[in-house]
Amino acid sequence: MKRIGGVIISHGQVATELLAAAETVVGELDHIAAVSIGWHDDVDVAKDEIERAIKKVSQGNGVLVMTDMFGGTPTNIAAMFIKENEVEIVTGVNLPMVLKVASYNRETTLSDLAKEVEEQGKQSIYRTSALLEPQKMKKDA
Amino acid sequence: MLEATVEVRNQLGLHARAAAQLVRLANEFKSTIIVHREDTNSFANAKSILSILTLAASMGTKLLVTAEGDDEEQALASIKSLFLTGFGEV
Repeated sequence: MKRIGGVIISHGQVATELLAAAETVVGELDHIAAVSIGWHDDVDVAKDEIERAIKKVSQGNGVLVMTDMFGGTPTNIAAMFIKENEVEIVTGVNLPMVLKVASYNRETTLSDLAKEVEEQGKQSIYRTSALLEPQKMKKDA
Repeated sequence: MLEATVEVRNQLGLHARAAAQLVRLANEFKSTIIVHREDTNSFANAKSILSILTLAASMGTKLLVTAEGDDEEQALASIKSLFLTGFGEV
């Protein structure tokens, strides 16, 4: 199966560490790369780095770029590469989103994977005390 | 369809790396494998790490594992032994 590649891009070292965390959980991830953009990096340098990362993970099935925050420089630079069926961006990357890209295991299209990853990211945010409340009540009852 | 009750025996519960072990094992089998946490009535697909993590199963949690398919017997036996060994953390 030709995989859809993944590139995580962030300010500072967040991208690198997110990828490291995902690899600790599920093992080495050859189809995902991380680009950490320094706070004082030149835009052209960052653009080149992103382009290299996209090329590195591309297997011909498209690349999903996950950036840290909508409106931030990593997203804005990555947006220059958006192209239908080739490069899609989902913002607000979190570990469950990276795990989703790491572990999807069936044929899918870039746009479908992008939608699934967007959903996964949103659904994976819990106010944990709210989850624990009903259990507590059950125990007390 | 076969089912068995297993217990989370490791101190950290069914955390990310433990869940990854379970998912890796489950994916070795063709059977559909579902994990049911009865006290919260939540279900998870044993082949999806993000699904397993939503069970939030801590140490002592009992889970009902069901396997259905050609290799359900081997699948269930392997999963039972993984839980018994506490994901290598006990």
